[in-house]
Amino acid sequence: MFKKLLLVFIVAAWLNRCLGADPERSVIQITTFAQQPVWDAPWRFNSVQRMGGSGFVIKGRRIMTNAHVVSWGRQIIVRRYQDPRPYVAEVEYIGHDCDLAVLTVQDSRFFDNLQPLEMGELPKVRSAVVTYGYPAGGEEISYTRGVVSRIELEPYGHIGNRRLLSVQTDAAINPGNSGGPVVQDDRAVGVAFQGLAGLENAGFFIPTPVIEHFLKDIENKRYDGFPNAGLRVTALQNPAYRSLLKLPDDNLGARIDGVLPISSTEKVLKEDDVLLKVGSFPVANDGTILYQGNRLSAALAFQMAQNGEKVPVQVWRAGKRLDLSLPVYVYNEDRAAGYQYDSLPRYFVYGGLVFTPLSLDYLRTLGRDTPASAIGELYYELFYHRSEDPATARPEPVVLASVLPDSVNANFGVRGRAFVDRINGVRIERLEDVVKALETSTNAYDVIEFLPHDGFETLERAEVAKANSRILETYSVAQDRRL
Amino acid sequence: MSHTLPSKSERRHACCSFAIAYLTLFLLLPAYAQEVKRSAPSMWEQSVVTVEVARKQYEYYQPWTKKTARSQKPALVVGERELLTTAEELYDRTLVRLQKYGRGRWFAGEVSWIDYHANLALLTCSDSEFWHDLKPAKLNGTMPPDGTLQIVRWRAGNLESRRAEFTQFAVREGQLAAVNHVVLEADSDIHGAGWGEPLVANSHVVGLVNSHEGHTCSALPASFIQNILEARRKGQYHGLGYFHFYWQPALNPASLARLKLPGEARGVLVIQVPPRPDGLPQVLKPEDVILSIDGFDLDIQGDYEDPEYGHLMLENLSTRGKWAGDEFKLKIWREGKPMDVTYRLPKYDYSTALVPFATYDQEPEYLIVGGLVFQPLTDSYLQSWGSDWKNRAPFRLTYYRGEQPTKERPELILMSQVLPDSYNIGYQDQRYLVLDKVNGQRISRLPELRQALEKPVGDYHIIEFVQSDSLKRLVLAAGKSEQEATDRVLKRYGIAHPYHFNSAAQ
Repeated sequence: MFKKLLLVFIVAAWLNRCLGADPERSVIQITTFAQQPVWDAPWRFNSVQRMGGSGFVIKGRRIMTNAHVVSWGRQIIVRRYQDPRPYVAEVEYIGHDCDLAVLTVQDSRFFDNLQPLEMGELPKVRSAVVTYGYPAGGEEISYTRGVVSRIELEPYGHIGNRRLLSVQTDAAINPGNSGGPVVQDDRAVGVAFQGLAGLENAGFFIPTPVIEHFLKDIENKRYDGFPNAGLRVTALQNPAYRSLLKLPDDNLGARIDGVLPISSTEKVLKEDDVLLKVGSFPVANDGTILYQGNRLSAALAFQMAQNGEKVPVQVWRAGKRLDLSLPVYVYNEDRAAGYQYDSLPRYFVYGGLVFTPLSLDYLRTLGRDTPASAIGELYYELFYHRSEDPATARPEPVVLASVLPDSVNANFGVRGRAFVDRINGVRIERLEDVVKALETSTNAYDVIEFLPHDGFETLERAEVAKANSRILETYSVAQDRRL
Repeated sequence: MSHTLPSKSERRHACCSFAIAYLTLFLLLPAYAQEVKRSAPSMWEQSVVTVEVARKQYEYYQPWTKKTARSQKPALVVGERELLTTAEELYDRTLVRLQKYGRGRWFAGEVSWIDYHANLALLTCSDSEFWHDLKPAKLNGTMPPDGTLQIVRWRAGNLESRRAEFTQFAVREGQLAAVNHVVLEADSDIHGAGWGEPLVANSHVVGLVNSHEGHTCSALPASFIQNILEARRKGQYHGLGYFHFYWQPALNPASLARLKLPGEARGVLVIQVPPRPDGLPQVLKPEDVILSIDGFDLDIQGDYEDPEYGHLMLENLSTRGKWAGDEFKLKIWREGKPMDVTYRLPKYDYSTALVPFATYDQEPEYLIVGGLVFQPLTDSYLQSWGSDWKNRAPFRLTYYRGEQPTKERPELILMSQVLPDSYNIGYQDQRYLVLDKVNGQRISRLPELRQALEKPVGDYHIIEFVQSDSLKRLVLAAGKSEQEATDRVLKRYGIAHPYHFNSAAQ
């Protein structure tokens, strides 16, 4: 019996070795030829850039990688370990909020003799991990060993305005490592994805709970994203506030200080409700939950749900415990305040005036060093107005991004970077309002008003009618709009 | 302010140089006395003196603390027992001393008149000996044809005279107030100027240098200064006024055509007319075209032809011999018709802005309650972020500077920080939050806050902040524990008083 068992073990080990169960055999080198749109001249594209990244084979003949490795890809080339043959890959699903993507390869031979990496658990702090990938500086696979330093909710740089579970390690994670597996005990426990400027010996990887949430999300053949309950939860540690709310002195419960205008949340929760429990997790008075031995923001407990699922919550309201059920959904109202992908920027060109929605991508065209104070109105509108005064915030603020010089607009004092308030007396809530206000007017003049001081510019409509096609031709603008 | 201050190291160097010069003077006094006897002093030596100012310097992030600062600047003898200099560095002063000939004895000086908005001050000295052998300078200089000027000041015991070349007259925002007025700009290699150095041509003073950036010196022109001093002597000066409306150039002919202005393109477009700070009705409306102000025709860029300075921006007309309360005749074009309106010039006042521009000669206001520090949001507070404060201070706070005050919210009170104590546990990291209500009462000023704290809601203070992406509400215990906490915090953090209020707003 013992001999049989030993034989089985030896054969299994041999098979494992022959079939390439070493993690590096499952690691994929990815080269993306990407082309991003120009956000202040939205009909144009930047030159094609070659970007290197990594990925790894997962179940279902797929490659897991980072969304930022393949975003805006015109062509994605994948190579196997120590195999020079290029294969063309395609994005099957992509989650920009969690910076993950799965790729497929048309040529089924690509997956021959490739073993998918099994997914592991969330690693323990201080445990050792190894990153695999193809970082810049060479063509061969690279391994770096480190330990798990910290587990927290961190900002995800690819989208810019989301915080999800993230693991910090001192294993080097450099450009090109992105998308590669972080391995522990021959299982993938994460996807390497970002570093932090100014922080030495610190790289970050996306841990298994986020990866599994993404994979479960796409089971219905559509990616929705991570839900956001829309709550601003703040610590409730001051004895006076706890006493006012008649809370038991048990160090549990964090206060809901603000609720985003999400009707499903507003129906269930109120400001000054005290969050006692989310799902099965008790909420401490600092707004954290204990998750697999780590103290983490209670936001995690909502993010673990899928879009549309109901999360049981227990709150303290008016001196009583209430058990409620909160449906949580993906929140996209703030998408312009994060980096956007997949959809080309919307615009409308009229008389050489280039109108486009205000977005973080647009602000980035003004230069990374542009201080917020120099673009105060735009900055406030994008990042503050909605949270401070949702009733007056515009769903899609519009900017006059630039002016394509022509005799019809030659005397304009405003040349771009201007926040459009009204056109022909109509308050501009979204880009479609611009089109409607300019195309349906019967006045002899178009009047465009700007914030903050209500400055205005005027166009003679008869002259614009003559100039439009000339301007589009002069500046090689194929279409006057993308709505 | 775009003013470039000398670096601290430069200033320290100047003080050291002074100390060395003083010692040298003491040792060589007989030789110096002989030298003075040998050569008659030049006219600028007799007209330019040094002012030393000791003043309080506040740390707005710890408003209960003060430091002392000492600086030197030039002043010009302009009349009997009368010295003229810029107002800068004279705020929050504790001691003013005067010295002639760049060395020797210091005399006690005093400020007889100061106008921060115009950046001008008159000083005097009660010691007759000081005035002996000093002569007033002529403050009515005209520009020399070749534009060659000199900047004069005492430097390390010697009278320094640096060449400057006139470049232009322009309209710029004042150094100490957001009022636009004419300045004389000149190129010079001089270092560390901008503190009131006389700009001279031949035997006349053509201006006082009040800012210096790179090679460009900017000076208050003699006629600008003279007009103010003359009006003051006659009792007609009530402070600087300004045009309280927004306008834009009428460079776009389509805009004028839509407004049906016939004839040649001219005038400027009124775009926004906020309520006046003095409560008077506004006589202008958006889309008015201002064609002329007091008989000066405006071109489409907003310039007029000044008889003295040439083309200047219309804003200068608000300070060209007209002062707060004076009236202007405006010719405007409104709704297809010409109109004449009378515009009364509102007085510039730091405190009429939602975020006051400055708080000179006032100690910073604050109120500490159980470790929570409340302060008015002012430019002086924001400037505690350093020379690049407009970019370094929290964006949301600086953005308030562009907002208009309202009756409900004339000013803003900030919870600037929390000094940690067991009483305020849980709130230690909160800061830069603008108050909305305390115990249900809306708060715009510190005395209102103190009153509100006297009326707790039951046993609690409920402190609410303006809607933002940060904390909205906090609650503290009221009563005995609050008072004990305040006492404890004051003792632990070495703070003498729990509050400071200025009785009179500037």
